[in-house]
Amino acid sequence: MHEGSSVTTIEGLGTPENLHPMQAAFIKHDGYQCGYCTPGQICSAVAVLDEIKSGVPSHVSGSLTTAPEFSAAELRERMSGNICRRGAYSNIVEAVTEVAGRPA
Amino acid sequence: MKSFTYEKVNSPAAAATAGSTTGSAKFIAGGTNLLDLTKLEIETSAHLIDVNGLGLDKIEPTAEGGLRIGALVRNTALAADERVRRDYGLLSRALLAGASGQLRNKATTAGNLLQRTRCPYFYDTNQPCNKRTPGSGCSAIGGVARSLAVIGASEACIATHPSDMAVAMRALDATVETVGPDARTRAIAIADFHRLPGDTSMDLAQAQAAPGVLAIVTADNAGKSARAVTIRRSCSAGRRLSTITRP
Repeated sequence: MHEGSSVTTIEGLGTPENLHPMQAAFIKHDGYQCGYCTPGQICSAVAVLDEIKSGVPSHVSGSLTTAPEFSAAELRERMSGNICRRGAYSNIVEAVTEVAGRPA
Repeated sequence: MKSFTYEKVNSPAAAATAGSTTGSAKFIAGGTNLLDLTKLEIETSAHLIDVNGLGLDKIEPTAEGGLRIGALVRNTALAADERVRRDYGLLSRALLAGASGQLRNKATTAGNLLQRTRCPYFYDTNQPCNKRTPGSGCSAIGGVARSLAVIGASEACIATHPSDMAVAMRALDATVETVGPDARTRAIAIADFHRLPGDTSMDLAQAQAAPGVLAIVTADNAGKSARAVTIRRSCSAGRRLSTITRP
């Protein structure tokens, strides 16, 4: 089903020497504990910010006809497909919010 | 471990032919429902027909002022389409109310319509289920059934179709375009596409092979957004009161 597709994993996002800003923010804000879900959280977070920027609405977007804006509610809804068994959610929200350029 | 064969087809008619000639074959597009069921061995397809890349991923205006939504348009793309957001708000809202971003990015319009009618007991292979094994009984009836069908069910099965999008399409009186092995297309009113189980088990109602869906066509809905908002609210609050079975 993905023959010929290009797939970017966490390894393709950044390297230990040259972190992606989202990876750096997760480290700074301690957005993980065991690390099991972290690659997915980071890849999703990068995609979520892109989706907001490109105008994709979400379940919590107030209007369908105006561009969605980053907010904690938008972030929580859009990241809801990524489950963290250890409950690092509040620090993840802080990390993504910083990368989005908004005050936490 | 159950082995299966896989083929990629290059036209919708070829897909319909492969689906009708190969026993126990299933179309795979996004795979968001089929893979889950396959892992649990509830679906044990001997053959998968990959229908991705058939060019059915476009949303086009119709001469009548509606939209023709290709079978392979992903749920995210449909919900985010500017025309859908403006004129078919209930469709966008219904899509965004379901699943997660990852699933919506993969799930297709036709796959959403054709996903299995189901309930938690259908997924629990330790429980008897008339849908999985006709005649074995139904654990949902008398079980934890708060979210299952109240009306439009049968005495054998109270599972519901999980699609919010299908409810919106029904409210919009959409038409489903299908193609058969002879490459002839058919138009099926959405009201006739999903069927009530009657007095049979759901499994019997679903025995008919899934048609090769090409597109879903909606009528002109411009300027009817107020109606859309009303319907959307009733959809999310009461959708479990409706139950539909796919053909």
